[in-house]
Amino acid sequence: MHEQLETLLEMQDLHMQRRALEEGDVREFESGVFDMSVEEALAALDDKISELEHRLTGDVQERYRRVIGRRHRAVVPVLGGVCYGCFVAVPTSWASEADPNDKMNVCQNCGRFHYYPP
Amino acid sequence: MQLRDFFSTDTVDLALKTETKDETLRALVRLFHLDEKSESILFKMLKRRETLGSTGIGRGIAIPHCRSLVVNRLRVAFGRHAAGLDFKAIDEKPVHYVFLIVAPPLEVSNQYLPVLGKIAQFSKEADVPDRLAGLESPKEFLQLLEEKGV
Ligand SMILES: [Zn+2]
Repeated sequence: MHEQLETLLEMQDLHMQRRALEEGDVREFESGVFDMSVEEALAALDDKISELEHRLTGDVQERYRRVIGRRHRAVVPVLGGVCYGCFVAVPTSWASEADPNDKMNVCQNCGRFHYYPP
Repeated sequence: MQLRDFFSTDTVDLALKTETKDETLRALVRLFHLDEKSESILFKMLKRRETLGSTGIGRGIAIPHCRSLVVNRLRVAFGRHAAGLDFKAIDEKPVHYVFLIVAPPLEVSNQYLPVLGKIAQFSKEADVPDRLAGLESPKEFLQLLEEKGV
């Protein structure tokens, strides 16, 4: 897997954890069952996200900032040949390649990064 | 929905030989047979969740959990560690029983929190730690879940 894609996936997971913690049920669960200090956890997640953002380079960082500002998610899976960001079919020129995640793929329609789940 | 339906014997390891919390998380993730990169991302996310506060809820039980893009459906695993592990648990006691639960960001039937809740509920039953200690096969683990009817 492309190293920058791996960083993006990790950032996305952190964004997702962050959003989840802001929801009532999850917040209640994490603080009730697991005794988590939610405010501290949110701050820790923010720190980690910005640390990872600095690890992105050049075009990838620029695109990430552009896409995340406009949309909710910067990386979306491609399932059944369809981009799960904009639901437009993705040309399958990569089909013969070993692992499409080894390079950075970008949706020609919505601009998000593509991830091909195993 | 019953807890029993989410577990299978091949994601139950009653004889964990790990030395640390990290090794234990890795060992349990391996039960899902993901590719190496996905394993590593999942491990990182679980570890990250632990740094936000331990998932050791006391009585020797821990429930590490997270959502991640690298899994395409809800997955659960159970591991038992005879000697006990330092999980920085709420009661500061060693952890012997680890329930791992991971789910994708979006699930059709939204089972993540309900399943987490059921595991927490199961873990609170008075005789559960002793019953888990006495298990002799993964099959008996599934039978225990069935018997408890959670
Ligand atoms: Zn798209």
